[in-house]
Amino acid sequence: MASNDPASDVATYAASVRAALSDLPSDQAAVLLEDLEDHLREIAAEAGGPLTERLGPPEQYAKELRTAYGATQVDPRRQDPALRDLQLARAWLTGSKWYRQVRAFLPELRPAWWVLRGYLAALILTAAFSQGYGIGPIPDPTTKRGLAEIVAAGVAIWLSVRIGRRSRNLPQGARFLAISANVVIAFVGVAVLGNMHSFTYSELIGTATPEQQPFTAAFAAGPVSNIYPYSQDGKPLTNVLLFDQDGRPITVDKSDAQTSYPIGADGKAITNAYPLTQRHLNGDPVVAPRVAFPPWPTPSPTPTPSPTATPSPSPTR
Amino acid sequence: MSQAEVDTTQLLKGVLDLAVLAVLADADSYGYDVVRRLRENGLDHVGDASVYGTLRRLYQAGALNSYVVPSEEGPHRKYYGLNNRGRKTLDQSAQTWASLSKALNHLLNGRSNGHGK
Repeated sequence: MASNDPASDVATYAASVRAALSDLPSDQAAVLLEDLEDHLREIAAEAGGPLTERLGPPEQYAKELRTAYGATQVDPRRQDPALRDLQLARAWLTGSKWYRQVRAFLPELRPAWWVLRGYLAALILTAAFSQGYGIGPIPDPTTKRGLAEIVAAGVAIWLSVRIGRRSRNLPQGARFLAISANVVIAFVGVAVLGNMHSFTYSELIGTATPEQQPFTAAFAAGPVSNIYPYSQDGKPLTNVLLFDQDGRPITVDKSDAQTSYPIGADGKAITNAYPLTQRHLNGDPVVAPRVAFPPWPTPSPTPTPSPTATPSPSPTR
Repeated sequence: MSQAEVDTTQLLKGVLDLAVLAVLADADSYGYDVVRRLRENGLDHVGDASVYGTLRRLYQAGALNSYVVPSEEGPHRKYYGLNNRGRKTLDQSAQTWASLSKALNHLLNGRSNGHGK
């Protein structure tokens, strides 16, 4: 894939040539490569098509340039081997095809980065001003605070894009500052995102805070939406109150049906009286499922407090 | 690159200075135009980088002067032209080339006139 943009093609090609000649003494390199970009632009303008097609790979171009210019080759033996390896690695990397492709593609991502930068900046500010307040990556639009965060993110994105569009040609110093600021925003923003507690199921379905949250029964086979108690002899029971081992009322996941709870004398709904009176979302009442009763063991001579084979309701003591 | 092209490239290297100086003696020119004119004159295998590098070296050696011509549609063009030193270099090199090519032609003719396979 060659870039369709001649300007970025020239920049990429020139960068690769410079990289391949990075071992030249800087004064020689400066003189030799002074107007390389202008020259390449000229070729791009007159020849058309990608430069690699017209000129061959940049490494070869650099080699030819070096020979024609009669540049002094740095004696590899006199050079620090580590430094030489580093330069070779750098030249190999910047000269490789995928590096050039990535390099040519990166400018197209610029506007996306501007948007992301605005969002991250808003996120960092939000995090800085909300110690101990659990913020999420996406503000909750149902709260005033969340709305404010959304507006702030919008403004930050607008500002970021505006800055991005205006800072195409910064002087060297300002450019360095801008790059540093971008790097800081990227790193701090990712750190803030990483520290955020991610969505939990209860946050998504919006149930109450953990202290008030009743125990919700569920089985591996799926959520329990109602419980149908029967007596030992198979008679359906009504308004059976269920509690778990900690004495918390057992409630069920009732998302698929409308449940009407009996209201207690204190005005509070009784949520653990089973079976629940439920209606499907289309209004039809939920009917009890067909159930199979287990065969009880034959009566044993030893009296036991719990299940017996007598056909009477469960004995109470 | 074929063997013939490699050979041509090797041979060209030695005389590229002379070829570039000759083109510039004709008229001032910029990098891409020099390449084009060399190719028009039959030096098909001359590499762009070689010409660019040669121009930069001749300029550094003080054989050329250079000036920038703003262009309305394209990029600015850096024109190169011969100065006195360049013209002197061209004259000397041309003489050297003339005697060298005469000697070589003589050698090659002798080879084809009886000693060739």
